[in-house]
Amino acid sequence: MATTPRSGGSAGGGTAQRPNGTSQSKSCQFKLVLLGESAVGKSSLVLRFVKGQFHEYQESTIGAAFLTQTICIEDTVVKFEIWDTAGQERYHSLAPMYYRGAQAAIVVYDIQNQDSFQRAKTWVKELHKQASPNIVIALAGNKADLSNIRVVEYEEAKQYAEENGLLFMETSAKTGMNVNDIFMAIAKKLPKNDGANNQGAGAGRRLNENENNRQTTNCCK
Amino acid sequence: MAAATTPISSKFSDVDEYGFKRPENFDYKAYEQFMSNYLKTLAKRRKRWEEILEENVDLSNINSKLKRYIRKGIPGPFRPDVWMRISGAYKLQAKSPDLYRSLLNAPHEKEISDSISIDLPRTFPDNIFFETKKDSLYNILIAYAHHNRDVGYCQGLNYIAGLLLIVTEDEEKSFWLLKHMVENIVPQYHTKNMANLLRDMAVFKEMVIRRVPAVNKHIENLGLPYAVIASKWFICVFAEVLPAETVLRIWDCVFSEGYKIVFRVALTMFKTHKSAILAADDIGALANFFREVLIHDEIVTDCHTFMQKVFELRLKRSELESLRKVCVGRNNT
Repeated sequence: MATTPRSGGSAGGGTAQRPNGTSQSKSCQFKLVLLGESAVGKSSLVLRFVKGQFHEYQESTIGAAFLTQTICIEDTVVKFEIWDTAGQERYHSLAPMYYRGAQAAIVVYDIQNQDSFQRAKTWVKELHKQASPNIVIALAGNKADLSNIRVVEYEEAKQYAEENGLLFMETSAKTGMNVNDIFMAIAKKLPKNDGANNQGAGAGRRLNENENNRQTTNCCK
Repeated sequence: MAAATTPISSKFSDVDEYGFKRPENFDYKAYEQFMSNYLKTLAKRRKRWEEILEENVDLSNINSKLKRYIRKGIPGPFRPDVWMRISGAYKLQAKSPDLYRSLLNAPHEKEISDSISIDLPRTFPDNIFFETKKDSLYNILIAYAHHNRDVGYCQGLNYIAGLLLIVTEDEEKSFWLLKHMVENIVPQYHTKNMANLLRDMAVFKEMVIRRVPAVNKHIENLGLPYAVIASKWFICVFAEVLPAETVLRIWDCVFSEGYKIVFRVALTMFKTHKSAILAADDIGALANFFREVLIHDEIVTDCHTFMQKVFELRLKRSELESLRKVCVGRNNT
């Protein structure tokens, strides 16, 4: 399943290209937050997207974690600053700190868990009320590899997403299904002209050439 | 039990004595060097402690000699008993000897039980001794959640209770030590609004501003919140953050001296890693440093030197207390 972003080892040939090396490619950076109930797979989605790894028993996130990953959309280098939050209800009081100024959010639920879908809807409502008005929200129905024991129907979630203007995909951090795709879809939807969406943490900021030695990108041919 | 494979050219296994897998980039050479001295230190400490324990004094009365001994490390085999005595947990247990069993036998709320069960397989999944301890961990957590309704089950308690269980190999002792930790050392960190955690994050930041202002400025400039760096340190009292032996040395002092130690350790982490923190030139590198490098580098693996550094720091309870008054209500550190 060779999708665009690759990190660390897979770019080990040392041929990673710097944005500066290509002719006039734009680069911008977006703040993205992951929200959703405990154990739906937020950290696993991030781990799959950033490192291409999956742990069956991913340790629960305490507080929050921050990671970055860079992808390419056409001629633009998009760097995601990813804020991965803790799912347990009481950590909710910390969440506004992370979605404040975010240009994108992935709200995650587990397709085997109806409560987690309801919780996702609550997150969407909160984001519509409290986050930046232009925020791009994606809904991810995770654990799609277990679709034979699903309780949240694809159509139901899709309809909800359409009614609320959300991107929607079912994903599997375990198999990698749709993981890169959902980030790509978000990147496509985000405005990429510099300064167009500047209220967040460094939208459209120029990438530092020395950044991300570990997370190279070999896109932007 | 899974046999640990020893990395080539090291006499140390890739699993530590508590069953935790060492990180991939673990520096075995530095560790060997450290251990060649530390083992001697441990043997010496053990002799001293045997003498103390023979005297059979009241260990809940922490005089300066005892404090000094504890700071140098309680020998592993004595830890369960000594922790129970210095923390006062034995005394509490003696007052309610049936509490733990009755909590276990009482009916349990499904919602709490479910949230604990979800976390069981993902507590120390790589620890080779822990697989058989999951039922005990469940018991400790479910009993505590029903004992302290303000806390219930808070993610992070699984790591504290899990490590207590590994050290004590005793459910009930772990329960009482967990209770002591959650209620007396870091009260209202784990309650539903996490009020004191948020306050103490702000206190910690103020202390960094005072002690290592350049570090604070750098972190602020890059835009990484203290909550991302350190909330796990405080919520888990460093369990599942630092190498097990280092955490246990910290807990020795936490049980005898209280919450001040948590701040001491957190500040020492910042101080000892000042140049590395300043060298991180973007927020991603900085977050990565805190998440993957600093938590098991040589400085923290050499727990003995690290603990010496912890106590070189000047820090008074009165300073912490006055900062706490100022920082009440802050929630965006």
